[in-house]
Amino acid sequence: MKFVAVIRQVPDGESRLKIEGGKVDLGGVTMILDQMDEWAVEEVIRLQEKHGGESVVVALGPERFEEAIRTALAMGIDRAIHLVAEGYLDPISQAEALAEVIRAEAPTLVFTGGQQADWDSQALGPALAEALSWPVVSWTTQIELEGETQARAKHDLDEGAEVVRVALPAVFTSQQGLNEPRYPTLPGIMKAKRKELKKVPVSASSKVEILEQTIQEKSRLNKMIDGKDPVAAAHELVRLLHEEAKVI
Amino acid sequence: MKKKPNAKSQMPKTVAALGLLLSAMPIDFTLTDEQKELQKLARRFAREQIAPVAAEYDRKEEVPWGLVEKLHAVGLLNAIIPEAYGGLGLGMLEEVIIGEELAWGCMGIYTIPMASDLGITPILLAGTHEQKQRFFKKLTEKPALAAFALSEPGNGSDAAALRTRAVRDGDHYVLNGTKTWISNGGEAETVVVFATVAPELRHKGVVALVVEKGTPGFKANKLHGKMGQRASGTYELVFEDCRVPVENRLGQEGDGFKIAMQTLDKTRIPVAAGSLGVARRALEEATRYAKEREAFGKPIAEFQAIQFKLAEMLMGLETARTYTYYAAWLVDTHQPHAHAAAIAKAYASEMAFEAANQAIQIHGGYGYMHEYPVEKLLRDVKLNQIYEGTNEIQRLIIARHILKG
Amino acid sequence: MILVVLEHDGQRLRKGALEAISRARQIGALGAIAGVVIGENTQAVAQEAAQYLPTVYAAEVGSYTPEKWAEAAYAAAQKSGAKVVVATGGRQSRTWTARLAYKMKAGLLEDTLETSTDGQHIIGVRYSFLNRVTEKQKAALPVVFTAKPNTTPLAEPASSSGVVEALEVSLPPTVEVLERLSEQKKGVSLTEATVVVTGGRGLGSPEAFAGVEELASTLGAAVGATRAVVDAGWRPYSEQVGQTGKTVQPNLYIALAVSGAVQHQAGMNKSKYIVAVNKDAEAPIFKIADYGIVGDVHQVLPALIDAAKKLKD
Repeated sequence: MKFVAVIRQVPDGESRLKIEGGKVDLGGVTMILDQMDEWAVEEVIRLQEKHGGESVVVALGPERFEEAIRTALAMGIDRAIHLVAEGYLDPISQAEALAEVIRAEAPTLVFTGGQQADWDSQALGPALAEALSWPVVSWTTQIELEGETQARAKHDLDEGAEVVRVALPAVFTSQQGLNEPRYPTLPGIMKAKRKELKKVPVSASSKVEILEQTIQEKSRLNKMIDGKDPVAAAHELVRLLHEEAKVI
Repeated sequence: MKKKPNAKSQMPKTVAALGLLLSAMPIDFTLTDEQKELQKLARRFAREQIAPVAAEYDRKEEVPWGLVEKLHAVGLLNAIIPEAYGGLGLGMLEEVIIGEELAWGCMGIYTIPMASDLGITPILLAGTHEQKQRFFKKLTEKPALAAFALSEPGNGSDAAALRTRAVRDGDHYVLNGTKTWISNGGEAETVVVFATVAPELRHKGVVALVVEKGTPGFKANKLHGKMGQRASGTYELVFEDCRVPVENRLGQEGDGFKIAMQTLDKTRIPVAAGSLGVARRALEEATRYAKEREAFGKPIAEFQAIQFKLAEMLMGLETARTYTYYAAWLVDTHQPHAHAAAIAKAYASEMAFEAANQAIQIHGGYGYMHEYPVEKLLRDVKLNQIYEGTNEIQRLIIARHILKG
Repeated sequence: MILVVLEHDGQRLRKGALEAISRARQIGALGAIAGVVIGENTQAVAQEAAQYLPTVYAAEVGSYTPEKWAEAAYAAAQKSGAKVVVATGGRQSRTWTARLAYKMKAGLLEDTLETSTDGQHIIGVRYSFLNRVTEKQKAALPVVFTAKPNTTPLAEPASSSGVVEALEVSLPPTVEVLERLSEQKKGVSLTEATVVVTGGRGLGSPEAFAGVEELASTLGAAVGATRAVVDAGWRPYSEQVGQTGKTVQPNLYIALAVSGAVQHQAGMNKSKYIVAVNKDAEAPIFKIADYGIVGDVHQVLPALIDAAKKLKD
């Protein structure tokens, strides 16, 4: 069996974002393996621990993605493929490039994050599935293999959830509750240095162009009500909401 | 930052020659990819596991054993044990990187693995292959701690005046005496105890013995009421006719003092690393508060008085960090490092204490309250000026280094 | 030609369908608009849709799977010669529209706030970076885009009725649905509510949520929960607000003992007014709060309920 996780590197949630020249400037920002992709990596490692076989992490992005790839290797993935492409590439175009590499790997399944915290896109997993002509199960909260050719999975819909049986190979995207990812351990970090990281140059053009990015933070009143007397504070708050904000 | 070779240009010959010389300089301040990964792991661990529970364990004065288990699970516990004995063989620079990150979360909690490394180092320096195998196995196969017992109620700085007595009796030494201020003393699988076989010989009569947990005649009493670092367990160890096998002796009788001093020459550096973490935390908390708190119509961060304090905190932090890395580099490249370790330990702890002090000042009245994290920083880091050799002892070491040449 | 995929509940068109029609009409310069109703009972629903659009396809493919929906939409796009496909945003539609975009080799604009055209491109505005950044994107035709719910006025019926046409769709290989589990719904719907009261882990126990529920019912509000609370098993996932839960935009969002991690903020930072009560003055939630109280939520909450009740009278 072979299990593939597709990951992205995104800004750490705690970082402050800044705009430079009409676009988000990631200089100096701490970049991490996206949290939802981390669930995908963890699930792939668990599947490998349970069923044996090989695990591979695949990422399409600029050189700096290497750090996130190393984190996945340090968590326990066997080897990595880095499709190197600088600049913005939309998920549909990325799916095409990724599919070529993944098709050649012929894995049992592919797991990726339900959404990533930079582009807020949910498209990569499904578009990849289409490129591979495989089914997709998005927002997966549980998965169990039934042999090598089938899987049973629970996933979220717009409202409620669904249990499906799907023929493998298939693409799954992760959702909260799928698992609790392990920390990369120190031994894992040291082993990761010796694991295979293949770099593949990618030349693709983006179907979508980003014209402008702005941070329009809604200006907030930041009005603090003295909490020393909680009862008085509560009454003052209700008064303000009724008379000033007029929302109750 | 590696120096780039100068581009060919129409520079005068002497300048070009200087450029060539500059480009040959080996100094490189960048961390390796592996070190960066390590730092990220430790930083994340501190943020997600240590910081959220630090105040609670400080308040309760309780050792977070669950965290010790988690540190073991991610490989951050006892990592200086060489790979041959089941550890990761981390170098001093890696220890410093980890130390700063964990101490940022809580200096008290960081002292737990730090003191464990302190208990491991004498065995590393003076143990036989068989002893290393035997003791290190206990410290790597499961979450376990080591300890180092030198100080006694009657002597701290005057280490050679220790009174714990070891009397040879056949295949054993019989230990009698009391040690105090011993971090991890009550939890440790192994405690390196420094005792004397002949008090009149002072430092030449000291022997280092590894006392294992559960040895009859060895009792550990937890000390309560510490000002800070309350998550770290500090103990009085009482030995009453405690029989320790000769196989547990490190080196020979008379080697003990040297082993202790050589150990501390190294382990002072992680103490400096811990001070860096506290100072960084102090600076971050103070900066955040200064940006939000308003007085006289604007954030207090806009006032020079506050800006000067923040600047001085960063001056201290950056210089202490760079020097601590230098001291670690000396250890990793097997160069003499006693004076550098002393400078790092003394300088970093004093700078961190002042940083915590100013962080409280910047917070004003709120800085004085438990609800805000800064008062704990001061209480915690004060100990860094005292343990592992007081800063006064550090100054003696530094002076000796100056005067010997 | 523009194709609109019309959301429905098996009987009637959903609100989202009327929003999608409005979006399509906004770019009407690109050509005629056709609609497609996919799933079950499509003929009947298509009749309703025909009051809005000149041509409506009915693709009877059974219950939802992403593969079926993408295939049906693709068949409709090909039949109509559509260069733009519009659908309403949501988890399911963002899954199948991505498949569709790949089939059409189209540019995909996800969950757009507004869309326009210059004749050859669609320009869309949307959020990114966990709803912190507003970005303007441009894609050359063909384009598939989803419209963020509740950002577009509902379309009015057209002056004359259109035509309904059955559409044959060859079913692709897809998943087998074994079980459907509906959401546990309690009280006011989170995404529709004008007031939301959310409780965080700082409340200390599931029992403390009784107070949250009481405040919510007094204010006619929906109850929300943070991820920590859902992970702890205190509240159902259907109440979760945040990146992996629901995104809400009420007039008033009251966050009780919520620290305000960025993933939670992503689900509520566009609320008109935000109130935060937390004992930690440094909690990130205060940065985006209009009104804040630093204090013990167990003392503030009963007083809030009391004050809210008095207001009602």
